[in-house]
Amino acid sequence: MKPFHIDVNSSQLSKSGNNVCGDVVLSRKVKDEQRTIITVSDGLGSGIKANVLATLTASMAMNFTVEKQPIERSAKTIMSTLPIDSRRQISYATFTIVDIDNGGETQIIEFDNPAFILFRKGKLLDIPKKDLSISLNDGSERKMLFSQFTLEMDDRIVMVSDGVTQSGIGTTQMPFGFGCDSLNRFLSEQIKEDNEISAHELSRKVIRKANENDIYKPQDDITCAVIHFRSPRRLLICSGPPYNESRDKQLAQMAKSFNGKKIICGGTTSLIISRELNVGIEVGMTLDNSGLPPKSKMKGFDLVTEGILTIGKVAEILEKLHGTEVYGSGPAVEIVKYMMESDEILLLVGTKINIAHQDPTLPVELEIRRNVMHKIANLLEDKFLKDVEIQFI
Amino acid sequence: MSKFNLYNTEMEKKVEVLVCYGTLCHLMGGSDLQLLGELLPLDLQGKVDLKGAPCLNFCNEVDNGKPPFAVVNGRKIEQATVKKLIQEIRVELEKK
Ligand code: FES
Repeated sequence: MKPFHIDVNSSQLSKSGNNVCGDVVLSRKVKDEQRTIITVSDGLGSGIKANVLATLTASMAMNFTVEKQPIERSAKTIMSTLPIDSRRQISYATFTIVDIDNGGETQIIEFDNPAFILFRKGKLLDIPKKDLSISLNDGSERKMLFSQFTLEMDDRIVMVSDGVTQSGIGTTQMPFGFGCDSLNRFLSEQIKEDNEISAHELSRKVIRKANENDIYKPQDDITCAVIHFRSPRRLLICSGPPYNESRDKQLAQMAKSFNGKKIICGGTTSLIISRELNVGIEVGMTLDNSGLPPKSKMKGFDLVTEGILTIGKVAEILEKLHGTEVYGSGPAVEIVKYMMESDEILLLVGTKINIAHQDPTLPVELEIRRNVMHKIANLLEDKFLKDVEIQFI
Repeated sequence: MSKFNLYNTEMEKKVEVLVCYGTLCHLMGGSDLQLLGELLPLDLQGKVDLKGAPCLNFCNEVDNGKPPFAVVNGRKIEQATVKKLIQEIRVELEKK
């Protein structure tokens, strides 16, 4: 597993009266090359038209960057492809492209968006930028900014659309709008308050603040994207007894020495680990409305639950989940919450088949653990972009 | 804890009830047993030490009977229901 994790998250609000946002944020991990690319675009105007412009721009910028096209050519292509606004007779969308490799080597290209902000050790860092001019086919010139630097552990890059920096404009409190300086100050306060603040939480705070500046009627589309370069949060989920009892020790040792959060899903599994590590299990008696057996407590583990029913429920929740906010209660919900807070997840799956579970007279058909865990692994990887490793024991 | 309770525990030992919360027992009706603590008749309250277990390991042998399982003062109870467990608790209390 790798030493760094690039946490990317964004939040948005549409201009009051629109149900589509005219700003678009895309992010993609290019797995084979270990790069992370983020594009942010703000389309001219608001509503669906702006959204189309921004989507086109952000996705073209994304694809050209993935393909390592020279930026001048990409920018030219983007600008000449965008449809022309019939009223204003221009075609236009801003963009910012961030390209980070896993060592933290970063390149950023900016076109007409508010400047990105880099925080290092809670302080603002000024990055020298190079001018990059391109001449379009119609003879006009456009200026972009190029910067290059290496990210350090715990650095944060914040990008916003002008709906943030210009929020509040015309109000008595801030006739000239929020502005870059106040935004910077706001960000450093947030980071100072909570050094660990997640990309998701920070971006949410920014749009909430902008919305407040606009007196809860956004005057423009509001977007904030945050990139946090940090050490990975790791999670281990052990489920199922090993196919051979001689491996019980190994399972327990792996669980013990794992560095990160730890969950056990399975009664027998928890008994094995409890026996091998000589720690007691205390079964909780709390009732909730999840319909699942209650969770237990075991020293050294963050959560201990029943096995197959609970992980089945986890798979179901992951399948239905939109975004990363999990609602409800019960052991399965708790597991999903742990998953959403983690970057790297190791699923340690015991493959012993519980004969009793195959009894045809059971009121429900119990799925084979392995299959459920495979499903969970796929969902975590494809839908939630987690780094997942699955090991059978 | 009130004085009376303290007095109580010192005088007589509580009946130990271990309820299985494992997968099979849960599926076969054991989920209802989670309510045992709340459904205890007034006269039994304070006299039972109720605990849960991840899997009592009875489910792997057919000879053990049918889930859900519980253990009352060391005695295995198969096909446990709230009613049955209350009966068994009374049996234990009468032994004294
Ligand atoms: S699940 Fe109850 S004894 Fe195994």
